[in-house]
Amino acid sequence: MGDRKRDKWTGRSRGGGFGHRFFVFLIRRAGIGFAYGFLSLVVVYFIPFAPRATSAVWFYCRRVLGRSRGNSLRALFTHYYRFGQTLVDRIAIGAGMDDRYRFEFDNYADFLRILDSGTGVVMIGAHVGSWEAGARFFGDYARRMNIVLLDAESEKIKKALERNAVRSEYKVIAVGGDGLDSVLKIKNALDAGEYVCFQGDRFVGGEGTVEAGFMGRPARFPRGPFLVAARMRVPVVFHYSMRGPGRRYRFHFVEAQGKTETALLDEYLRVTERIVRAYPEQWFNFYEFWK
Amino acid sequence: MNGNEIIEKINTVLADEFEIDAATITPDAPLMETLDMDSLDLVDVVVLVEQSFGITLRGEDFVGITTFREFYGLIEGKMNG
Repeated sequence: MGDRKRDKWTGRSRGGGFGHRFFVFLIRRAGIGFAYGFLSLVVVYFIPFAPRATSAVWFYCRRVLGRSRGNSLRALFTHYYRFGQTLVDRIAIGAGMDDRYRFEFDNYADFLRILDSGTGVVMIGAHVGSWEAGARFFGDYARRMNIVLLDAESEKIKKALERNAVRSEYKVIAVGGDGLDSVLKIKNALDAGEYVCFQGDRFVGGEGTVEAGFMGRPARFPRGPFLVAARMRVPVVFHYSMRGPGRRYRFHFVEAQGKTETALLDEYLRVTERIVRAYPEQWFNFYEFWK
Repeated sequence: MNGNEIIEKINTVLADEFEIDAATITPDAPLMETLDMDSLDLVDVVVLVEQSFGITLRGEDFVGITTFREFYGLIEGKMNG
């Protein structure tokens, strides 16, 4: 492990506009089920031709989840397939086919109570499931949502949001350069009683990160979301949108109890770990996440 | 609170928070480098100053602020505004 060159996340993701348009065409002409079928072929391509991602999934299955070789081999397929399914679902939902899906919510009333409290709220998610699948269900709350994205991914994701969440009113705060501007925008949004959404498992470079145990192994996490929430003394909600069988999405909202940066991070790790163990094939960090 | 008192209070608060010798804070010293701040530390500075002086700072307030002199001016302006 020590000699292995770490495959850090660079802020860029695979795929693009053509793939999106192709799947929109496929879903509209042949249906969601057919798109899933086609996806199976794409998955077979990705396993050998995306070696870094495949290596990361293999490590996750073997070392983190402790699965056997045979089990991990099968998991490679299901992992990519599940990821592709969430992308197809996102496109289908964005194209107005949300009536083909079921959406369930955990602690929704508590979540809305927090959003309605009049104070700024920090929302922290992770690269699990598909939060974008629920993007259009926040309705008027979306106008007060600010999504913090790393500069390298912001343009791409902004376009994806425009494509997939047509009615969304989300604002994007891009983090880049020295980060001062973005930190102040985050503060302004919270001061104005708006909601600021982070992904708590992603960062670029090593600045502003902290090492912590996650799923039994050390990994690095960004300090920013937890520090901002602690210093600004605003409510924190951990949120995850996980795909279930039968085109079903379950939204999990967990109100954080911790008040300090460390307590919030610990709590986030515990809750996220519980989610990942419940939906192990929906861990979508396709790079060397653990040290 | 007059200008000198504001400056003294800012210096004391920042020196305590960032654990530096208050004597290293001079009007023309660069703010970020002197305090060895990164962007996350700015959250601390903003929250500290807001609590200490009862003012609200906005993101745009920091445009062009590089030295302590400019920072003092920002706080004084907010307090007098």
